[in-house]
Amino acid sequence: MASLRLIRSWWVILAFVSGFALAMLAEDLILDSHDNRIEFSAPRIHFLSGKPLDRLRNAAEVPFDFSITLWSGTKNHIFRRSVDRFVVSYDIWEETFSVVSKVQQPGKSASHLKAPATEAWCLEQMSMDVTGLSATEPLWAHLDIRAEDEGRGPGGLFGKGNISESGISLNSLIEILSRPPPSPQAHWQLDAGPLKLEDLRNHRR
Amino acid sequence: MNPFHTPHTPKLIKTRCNPLALRVRLGKIVMKTLFLVSLCCALVWGQNPNDTAPQVQATALTEGQLNVNSRYTIESVQVIGWREKKISTHLRSALNQIVGEKLDHPHLDLLAQEIKKEIHAANVQVKVVRGSIPDQVAVTFEIPPSHELGVDLNVARFLYHSAEGWSAEGNAGTRIKGNNFTFGMVSDSDAALERFAGVRAGFERSNVGTDRLSVRFGFAAYHDQWNDATLQADAADTYRTRYIFEPQATFVLAEPLALDFGVRVSRYRLAAPLANTESSNAVVSTLRYHQRWGSDLKDVQQEGNANYSVTVATHVLASDPTYARHSVSALYRLKHAHNLLELSFLGGKIAGIAPLFDRFVLGNATTLRGWSKYALDPLGGSHVVHGSINYAYRRVQAFYDTGAVWDKPSQKQQKQSVGVGFKASAFQLAVAFPVGAGHTEPIFYGGMNF
Repeated sequence: MASLRLIRSWWVILAFVSGFALAMLAEDLILDSHDNRIEFSAPRIHFLSGKPLDRLRNAAEVPFDFSITLWSGTKNHIFRRSVDRFVVSYDIWEETFSVVSKVQQPGKSASHLKAPATEAWCLEQMSMDVTGLSATEPLWAHLDIRAEDEGRGPGGLFGKGNISESGISLNSLIEILSRPPPSPQAHWQLDAGPLKLEDLRNHRR
Repeated sequence: MNPFHTPHTPKLIKTRCNPLALRVRLGKIVMKTLFLVSLCCALVWGQNPNDTAPQVQATALTEGQLNVNSRYTIESVQVIGWREKKISTHLRSALNQIVGEKLDHPHLDLLAQEIKKEIHAANVQVKVVRGSIPDQVAVTFEIPPSHELGVDLNVARFLYHSAEGWSAEGNAGTRIKGNNFTFGMVSDSDAALERFAGVRAGFERSNVGTDRLSVRFGFAAYHDQWNDATLQADAADTYRTRYIFEPQATFVLAEPLALDFGVRVSRYRLAAPLANTESSNAVVSTLRYHQRWGSDLKDVQQEGNANYSVTVATHVLASDPTYARHSVSALYRLKHAHNLLELSFLGGKIAGIAPLFDRFVLGNATTLRGWSKYALDPLGGSHVVHGSINYAYRRVQAFYDTGAVWDKPSQKQQKQSVGVGFKASAFQLAVAFPVGAGHTEPIFYGGMNF
């Protein structure tokens, strides 16, 4: 009876550890190989959040710049780099997201998406051709996502908005100088590697 | 058959009553729960995007469209918050024009900048929410409260001119129940023959029974300093101090035509050692026309500005000098994309003998910019004609000025100047050269709002 209890305890711990490990693994950039392409996913990254999401809910479009870099052999050798700009908007009546790729020709777009699906769609478009990459070479990947800052308009200390026919308004200058420092640009980064192409293929099988 | 007397029921009762069986069962429940919890963690945290692949439906975006909301129609626009009532009718009209249009968020941001600029707000926020019926949206421009000092402080203008030195003006103003009160300090060596430095105070009410009529009272006290060239030409007409009181009214005849009328009472103490204080009291009137076509939001903008002013100093008002001063000025401005073209004209004539502050001057930061006014005519003239062409591409500008200032026809000499510089917003920095002067001594100037 005691051994049975011990086995059960181990089983419980194993279940916990495996679940936790899977969850931890999911924090990183996940690479998957299809034919001669590598696809990327990052289920823990939620760039449709915070200030960009506030702007989207205010019916504005928000551009996100994506960049994925793939190194092979050593971390000094960039094998390929892929960049794209996705302009996301949020339908205030349907409460769904739409997204347009600005770099790809012809421009791809998708709509009627929920937030996680929108995020996943953007990463799907970043898949990379790895023809010529040795299956046994170590490779590393880095994902960088940046939300474009909200335009400050023709402002600045002596911008057009603060000068008129009556001159420079000191009240406006006081207001500008009293502002808290601008919040840093919304920015997300993830890394993966070292990995091997053959491992990605085997993992898929 | 009684459903409560099934064969399982007694067994269940029996199991519950057995402590060992109860522990085994509880253990199973706990294990299953833990397994399910860990599995849920794995599924929630570790979900593969491929497992929840976006269901891409028929796209709502047309080609070239970036914002899915641009298919919605704006049903209403409102401005709320600080100084909302100060927005001009021109801008309100531009705001109202977007009602019925499709939503264009960048255009809304431009309008917010226009509001910010016009009322000196620190920030204007655009809010877009669902409208009262589907496929329509309501737009609100919110002006958050500013650091309200109760007083507007402005650096109205400043200028450095290589032949004249520094000029600057600062104002403070406040508004109490529709009445504007202003107070300012000035030291100006550009506008007139002399440098006048002192204080200004004013009161203005922009609505006297009707929006068409406004009244204002202005007071100024100046101390005057003269250039050697003027003193050598005729020191007897110069003065040390000057006080001005100007009660005036403006009546809008028909938009965009308005008429200013009133009187100007000036008392000045002549510089000569035993000279008395003199008065120049005059009826003043100006007919003004100002029209704009397009707005800052459009590629092509045009602006026309024309004034005719008459100043009549007469013994009826106990004026020492008697004269009539007429002047006409006009400005046409055309802006297309990054190109800006400005054409300006000034003409004037004085009948009688006017004090130096009312005589015409050329050769400063706005007229015959390559010349010094002290070299052209240190006493000013009773006749003037002047024209300018300015062209600017982005921030680079080039200009050509021509004109003449004279008292007697025999003294009339047309002068010309050319120059180049930089112009950004109200700031300007330029160098100008006289044409046909026999020398190429350039004039430098730079500043704001002159």
